[in-house]
Amino acid sequence: MKRGVLLAGVCGLGLTAGILAQTQPAAPRPPAKKPPAAAPAPAPNTAPVRTSITLAQVEGLWRNARTAEDYKTVGAAFETLLKSDATNAEYRIRYADLLISRFNVADAESLYQEALKIDPKNAKAYIGLAEIYADSFDKLGEESATAALGLDPKLYHAQEIIARIALEDSNMEKAAKAADLALAIDPTAVEAIAIHATIDLLADRPNSPWLAKIGNRGEGYADIARALVNNRRYEDGIAYYRKAVAANPDLWRAHSQLGVNLMRMGREEEARAELELAYNNDYRDAVTANTLILMDTYKDYDTTRWPEPGTPTGILRLHKKESAVLRPYFEVEMKRAMATYEKKYGYKMTKPVQLEVYTDPANFAVRVMGLAGIGLLGVTFDNVVAMDGPSARARQEGYHWASVMWHELSHVYTIAMTNERVPRWFTEGVAVHEEAATTPDWGDRLNPQIVAALRDKKLLPIADIDRGFVHPTYPEQVIVSYYQAGKICDYIVKRWGDSKLVEMIHAFAGNRQTPDVIREVLKMEPEAFDKDFLADLMAETGKTVNGFEAWTKEMRELNTAVKDDKIPADMLQRARALEAIYPDYVEAGSPYLLAAQACLKASDKPCAVGEFAKYSKIGGRDLEAMEQYAGLLSEGGNKKDALAALSRMIYVFPLDAGLHEKLGNLNLDTGNTKDAVREFQVLLALNPGDKAGSHYNLAKAYQADGQKDKAREEAINALETAPEFRPAQKLLLDVSGDGK
Amino acid sequence: MRNICSLGSTRLAAAAFLLLGASAHTAFGATYFLTVAGLGGEADYEQRFQMLATDTDKMLKASPGTDKIVETLKGADATRAKLEASLAKIAAAAKPADAFVLMMIGHGTFDGGEYKFNLPGPDISGPELAVLLNRITAGRQLVVNMTSASGGATDALKKEGRVIITATKSGTEKNATVFARFWVEALRDPAADTDKNQAITALEAYKYAVAKTTAFFTDSKHLATEHAVLADEQRAAAFTLVRSGSAVVVTDPAKRALVATKEDIENKIDALKYQKDLMDSDDYRRQLTTLLLQLARTQEAIEK
Repeated sequence: MKRGVLLAGVCGLGLTAGILAQTQPAAPRPPAKKPPAAAPAPAPNTAPVRTSITLAQVEGLWRNARTAEDYKTVGAAFETLLKSDATNAEYRIRYADLLISRFNVADAESLYQEALKIDPKNAKAYIGLAEIYADSFDKLGEESATAALGLDPKLYHAQEIIARIALEDSNMEKAAKAADLALAIDPTAVEAIAIHATIDLLADRPNSPWLAKIGNRGEGYADIARALVNNRRYEDGIAYYRKAVAANPDLWRAHSQLGVNLMRMGREEEARAELELAYNNDYRDAVTANTLILMDTYKDYDTTRWPEPGTPTGILRLHKKESAVLRPYFEVEMKRAMATYEKKYGYKMTKPVQLEVYTDPANFAVRVMGLAGIGLLGVTFDNVVAMDGPSARARQEGYHWASVMWHELSHVYTIAMTNERVPRWFTEGVAVHEEAATTPDWGDRLNPQIVAALRDKKLLPIADIDRGFVHPTYPEQVIVSYYQAGKICDYIVKRWGDSKLVEMIHAFAGNRQTPDVIREVLKMEPEAFDKDFLADLMAETGKTVNGFEAWTKEMRELNTAVKDDKIPADMLQRARALEAIYPDYVEAGSPYLLAAQACLKASDKPCAVGEFAKYSKIGGRDLEAMEQYAGLLSEGGNKKDALAALSRMIYVFPLDAGLHEKLGNLNLDTGNTKDAVREFQVLLALNPGDKAGSHYNLAKAYQADGQKDKAREEAINALETAPEFRPAQKLLLDVSGDGK
Repeated sequence: MRNICSLGSTRLAAAAFLLLGASAHTAFGATYFLTVAGLGGEADYEQRFQMLATDTDKMLKASPGTDKIVETLKGADATRAKLEASLAKIAAAAKPADAFVLMMIGHGTFDGGEYKFNLPGPDISGPELAVLLNRITAGRQLVVNMTSASGGATDALKKEGRVIITATKSGTEKNATVFARFWVEALRDPAADTDKNQAITALEAYKYAVAKTTAFFTDSKHLATEHAVLADEQRAAAFTLVRSGSAVVVTDPAKRALVATKEDIENKIDALKYQKDLMDSDDYRRQLTTLLLQLARTQEAIEK
């Protein structure tokens, strides 16, 4: 999956659901245990909530609760209990357990915290918190579980949580050990058994003896399924969710997750059935509700299939309101990426590749709910890719949709080629590498957060790099891990060639661990690889890392001077010195743009063109700057380069009407009449305010392309809006044979 | 934007004047333009407001035609006293056949009851401004209030024959606005001239600025903090702000006949467009094409 540098959240989805759902746990959890059946139970809904109500009575209400109304009654009873005794930690913990089971994680967390303030040695409160934090991949999960164990060593579920977290880190040894500790306390502990079974399944030992020990406990299969999905083993995950619901047909969270994962794989009919089953049985968490809402919006999408609609190899799904604008570019890039990968990896997909482009970040967020990490821009589920479309991101982000597409489509190939057994770091590393492998100015640049991480020597050894993706220990670690993984793949290609990456893909298909693959394919120890890689990376980035502090200070000074309109006389020299220290910096206040400004102030246009050219080559994405660059090139008669410079911006600003108009005209001027037609068609699809002008532009392009009939129709369209529009009148006469 | 509706034809019946490449402009008197850039408060705003006023001033003055009087108040000159003096001067000079356009750029405030336009020194309230405007007898008036909270001034400024455009829908939209930037951009961007008659009307500029303002907030993923309002589109369509074509006088009697023919064809096109929804689409297209070709040929003959 592709992650944005800006940490756009996937929170706030409860609002989309508009139902009970509040902040949603990232993954399904076992429901909080209802009280034992032996306790006396008043009938639901009918029992009055008295101030003298006891916890046992509330537990009874809860045990018999079935509907949302019942649960509201139980909640009200807990509120009464809380008011009756503000110092009772147990009331808070049980109330929090109820809220967890009703998907209200935020309030549950507060109640556990309150319980700990009252009773700092309450192990159950720590367990509750451990569940919440572990589900959101927060490092506090393990800390809370450990704290619980410190207070009550017999709490086997705390060991299960620790084992689950270790499993997510691919630390099988630690996971097995913690699971064993749980089983030593309770030999029937189902999650611990499931963790052992998962370890076997991930190691391709399908006949694990642990599976039989789960028996008909659906929860155990659901735990396995969840872990398999976390390891991108989606098909296997679906199979185990099926086992879970077969063993326990009332396990609604498993039905929900089965539906979600079927939806991820594009099997919408079956997905909807499972989700509706869960929903109709009052399992209405944010994932279930929002996924159903998302599926309802699919009617608003256009789907293009090729080469044949019935047996497609590619499927592109775009929102109707944007499909006419985006399809010309998305379809071309998708086909180009697939052809490139097919050739490079020597692999032809056996299933159609489906790409879904979302205009609403809330809809895309539903697609990625439950996955580790936030701020995702794209996500791949086997052969199905979901990604943010350009309109889902703020313009100032400079969102490069084509990089994201190539990134995600790379995952499709590495996942398929390894039969879903590729480690996270490697598939991400290849994907980051591929972003810029074909078109060097694409992809993300070395950003200041990564420079700081390099300076502070925060990179992980290759054997442990997966940890940086799933359980980061500092805020920027996920971004740093993407960068590092990408650079590792760049380094492998640089030193050994593309073929080694392909060999590694094949090696991972054999379910080999990273250190073994490094030894086998690269013929070196992982530690030696780390050493060589870091040396190479430092050779490339050392000047930036070492000069970063001075660079930052100088950048601040120069940009402040520009803002205050006090451009120093030596700005060009100073900006160029900054470029030399940190050549990759093309974000706001880039030295290339400062230098170009200095050149223009000195009326030295060739100098400015030179600076803009460097900025463009490295990957600068400021549209105004690029338009200025193209303008200078055009003025100098170099329209081909101007066209090339502006064409880069289509991969960032495909919805900018002005850009299409400029590209249309440049294409016309340089004789690329078919491209001019495309640009002006897209401009019209953007529904511009100047309809007459846009139809006229398209008429001109058709005329230049020799399509007189279409030119005539478009001239008439222009004149229908603006009958007195002289250029359109002249064109109409021209193509009607009246021209002089 | 040609008006063909209830205001009556805005074409010259005698068709003696032509904009180069455009047939019609209104047969009204002079237009008085007053642009005021209020107090910025901060250097950035001060600079921005003054720049917008300066650009507006330049474009109005550069616009072809002699039937306009342009005045701009900005910076230290944009005081209440000077505003009052300018309005008094216009009140003394303008006749009922004239038009008056006031463009207000800057910050406004609204306390729940009264709007104030922020100026260096004392501000001016909506009702106070209305009193001054009401002394101007120009038959057609346009007030483009582009300040924050400008919607709060509408009730006070309302008057028969006065078109009011505000950057915000009410006085409670209090953030600094971006509408003014796009309004001024409309005056210079040929794309704002959607009917391609080489003149940008208040309605065209309004629609252009609204579209750009909407895109500004959509693109930045920010909640829109301003919603511009124009109550009377028909009258706004009759207000030409700037022109890019030059007025020429047709003296040749033969060409006068052609101009009349052209007017006739244009009227037929307008009538046909009104019937569009009721017609068979092929028939509509056929008739439209015929008329457009006739119009183009006639225009060409006029220009010969």
